[in-house]
Amino acid sequence: MAKKQYTLSIRQSIFYPSILIVLISILTVSMILFFNFRRTTSEIVEDSSKEINKQIILNFENYINSVIDTANYIQEKTVEYGLRANQVGLDDVYAQAAEVQPDIESIVLLDRSGHYLVRSTNKTVSEEDLTKKEWFIDALSDDSIYHFSSPHPQDIFLISSSEVITVTKVVTYYYNEVEYQGILVIDINTSNIITLTETTNLGENGHIVIINDDDSLIYSNNTACVTDECQSLQISREIIFGGRSVDIEGTDFYANVNTLRNTRWRMATFINTDVLSTTSANTLWIMALITVVTFFITMTASSIISRRISSPISRLKDHMAKLEHGDFYKKIEIDGQQEVVSLTHSFNSMIEEIQGLMDRIITEQKSKRKTEFQALQNQINPHFLYNTLDSIVYLSENKMNDKVVEMVVALSKFFRISISRGQNIIFLKEEIEHARNYLLIQQIRYNNKFHFHFEVEDSVLNYKVVKLSLQPLIENAIVHGISTEYDEGLITIRAFQEGEDLIMEVEDDGFGMTSEQIQDVYERIQYSSEGKSVGLRNVYQRLKLYYGDKAKFLVDSELDERTTIRLVIPIEGAL
Amino acid sequence: MKKLSIISLFALILLSLSACKSANDSIPLILYNEVDPFILEFKKHIFHYASGKVDIDSFDSQNSQLLQNEIIENMLEENRSVLIINPVDRLGAYTIIDKVKEHNIPIVFINREPLEVDMYSWDKVYYIGAPAENSAMIQSEMIHSLFKDPLDLSDYDKNNDNIIQLVLLKGEQGHQDAEIRSEVVIEELEHLGYRIEILSIEVCDWQESIAYLKMNDLMKNLEDPIELVISNNDAMALGAIRAMEEQGLFSDDNKDGVIDRETEPWIPVVGIDGIETAKLSIDSGRLYGTVINDSEEMSRALIELVEALQNGEDLSNLSYELENGKYIWIDYRKYEDQEEAN
Repeated sequence: MAKKQYTLSIRQSIFYPSILIVLISILTVSMILFFNFRRTTSEIVEDSSKEINKQIILNFENYINSVIDTANYIQEKTVEYGLRANQVGLDDVYAQAAEVQPDIESIVLLDRSGHYLVRSTNKTVSEEDLTKKEWFIDALSDDSIYHFSSPHPQDIFLISSSEVITVTKVVTYYYNEVEYQGILVIDINTSNIITLTETTNLGENGHIVIINDDDSLIYSNNTACVTDECQSLQISREIIFGGRSVDIEGTDFYANVNTLRNTRWRMATFINTDVLSTTSANTLWIMALITVVTFFITMTASSIISRRISSPISRLKDHMAKLEHGDFYKKIEIDGQQEVVSLTHSFNSMIEEIQGLMDRIITEQKSKRKTEFQALQNQINPHFLYNTLDSIVYLSENKMNDKVVEMVVALSKFFRISISRGQNIIFLKEEIEHARNYLLIQQIRYNNKFHFHFEVEDSVLNYKVVKLSLQPLIENAIVHGISTEYDEGLITIRAFQEGEDLIMEVEDDGFGMTSEQIQDVYERIQYSSEGKSVGLRNVYQRLKLYYGDKAKFLVDSELDERTTIRLVIPIEGAL
Repeated sequence: MKKLSIISLFALILLSLSACKSANDSIPLILYNEVDPFILEFKKHIFHYASGKVDIDSFDSQNSQLLQNEIIENMLEENRSVLIINPVDRLGAYTIIDKVKEHNIPIVFINREPLEVDMYSWDKVYYIGAPAENSAMIQSEMIHSLFKDPLDLSDYDKNNDNIIQLVLLKGEQGHQDAEIRSEVVIEELEHLGYRIEILSIEVCDWQESIAYLKMNDLMKNLEDPIELVISNNDAMALGAIRAMEEQGLFSDDNKDGVIDRETEPWIPVVGIDGIETAKLSIDSGRLYGTVINDSEEMSRALIELVEALQNGEDLSNLSYELENGKYIWIDYRKYEDQEEAN
């Protein structure tokens, strides 16, 4: 399956990931922060709403308890007075209790048929049958608890028309030491309940709803809930008890419903929490702004950084492209990061190295070709061959058959070694043999004008040496050392080991050389490419080429005494 | 392949985040107030009988219905299989029933009995408790054994008027048990033919400290001698004894650690509940007697019922009678001092 591969440049691979990383982290962080913030704030709002609800309920319960306490007190007193058969003082006790709590309109003790036994006030009582009243029936429905009625106009006395809540309970009383069941009736003015709801701050439009155990409305300070059906009332019914966030006509509220202790009522508080959604929205906007700003900052920064990193590299890249096309000789200077600078330096020194290597290769190639050429020329020196053949002809004409044979054999051996199956390296003994044949031929040619002498250690015979390294030296010795007409010259060839070196020497006893001449020879073999001493230079250069700097070519001379050319080859190269 | 692993990684993270809420198998026991020693003992028994059968998680409402409502809300969120609730406010229990009904989780009420009308508003509501009048009957029996004959009271009728002058320590006002215990004990005594004079009825909210304060006041202010103290529970009875001890009664003159009823001054006090400290007080001759609100037996019944509800078993197979499919009544037991028992 062929898949298209996208390769990104350095700049892109810095730019895109950094943008992506920053974007993802910012989004994640803002999301986490936002949700954390929202959760925390809504927890705070929820907690404070619950706290407010608790407080209101506590206020109401305290109030209810104070009423119950009064009722308990009345009950205790009723029993106490009844037990002491002191009925007279009870009216005063009732009146006092009602006075202590100003919101208590009246306290009345009725018998089971609805007749007055004790009352806190002298107001004229109505003639109605109280046993038909809802609160009377309620009281009898369960004689173990206090019953709290819905707010209704006061209906025991004729004059007052205030709105009251009637608290009733079946109680025991004694008359003439006989126990009876009666009904204690306490009317509380609703104004106090209204005051209680006003003391707590529920926020704008915050309100309370009190509902009965049959889900009917007892009281609400929300004007919308004066009628029996309103949204708050329905919510209160649904919740039963507990808290949750609700939306009433576009406003956020936290609704809390709890029972009021000692009653069958439950109270719902609706606390305005619009502020929560507003802060929440604000925070979201701030988060979004931060994200966008950070995104742009990152984009710019990352773009600048990636360009700064990538531009020196791409310059280097361009330069390398030139190298690909064969331009080796241009160096480059780049400013930038450490790595790039050192890369540039390495690149430059690499170029230098390449240049040096290439120059050396070219020189070596040239030198090699020339040497081979020279060697070939030396091997088949036509003059040498003509002269030798002329000598052979001369010897035959003079019937010197022995000499002819000697010469032809030497010539034959000479060429055999010269050719030597094309090998450049041969055993020293072969090189010595070659030299000897050469000397024999030249001796006959020069009519015994010189003698020669070999001093070769047996131990070095099997070392290997560069072919034709002795013959040019001998040729030189014959030409320069033996040109006198008077003396017979002597040429000594030596080969021995000295320490780690193999030494080969060719010595003549000719005129010798001054030190200037020796210096001249050194210069010619090293630097000159033409003119005299071609043979010596050939040997010198081949020596250096093959053995490197360890090989030495030394000229030593005493005037009118001798000249010695010594070749020093490291043994390790001769094995 | 790479994409797949990234997607599955995200899915894993989301899953682990959402998996935080999981169902809890243990059954919540929501007590009205762990300061109440009877409740503490009840709790101990419940845990004892539950061990190895059901996992119980107990919560303290700290005598606040609001707090209890919050606890119940949390339990509903956790989807518990049964709720054991000792309501703070028995009048408000109807809201608990209404709320829990929506989640269809059976409720077992203990210690405080909701109104009958509320109990019958849903079929998965149960109550385990003692019949309140039963305790008062046993209390009156104990008093009867002390005064022997209604027409000729024993020596404990200090002023020899053949009338028992008594003080009644009442529990919480509006608490069904308090009302019934107070009413029935007097009714029963009268039924047995005793003439009684209630010197005072003191509402002490079940608490030792309040009973102590009120008894202190009574000892200073009452002119008539107190011949009997009837308390709706042991804690208040012990509070009264503490007050009387400070007024010179129950003095261990011969320092034998036990109040000798023949020679040392004392007033009979009867309680209800049979908590450990009350039993110790009886053994040392201070508290005359108590009625054991048999929380141990109730716990046994409770665990049996809860286990059956949890496993959806047939409730008619319970070893306790389930009255009207709702109520398990565990009778009170009499606890007297050891001498008399011997």
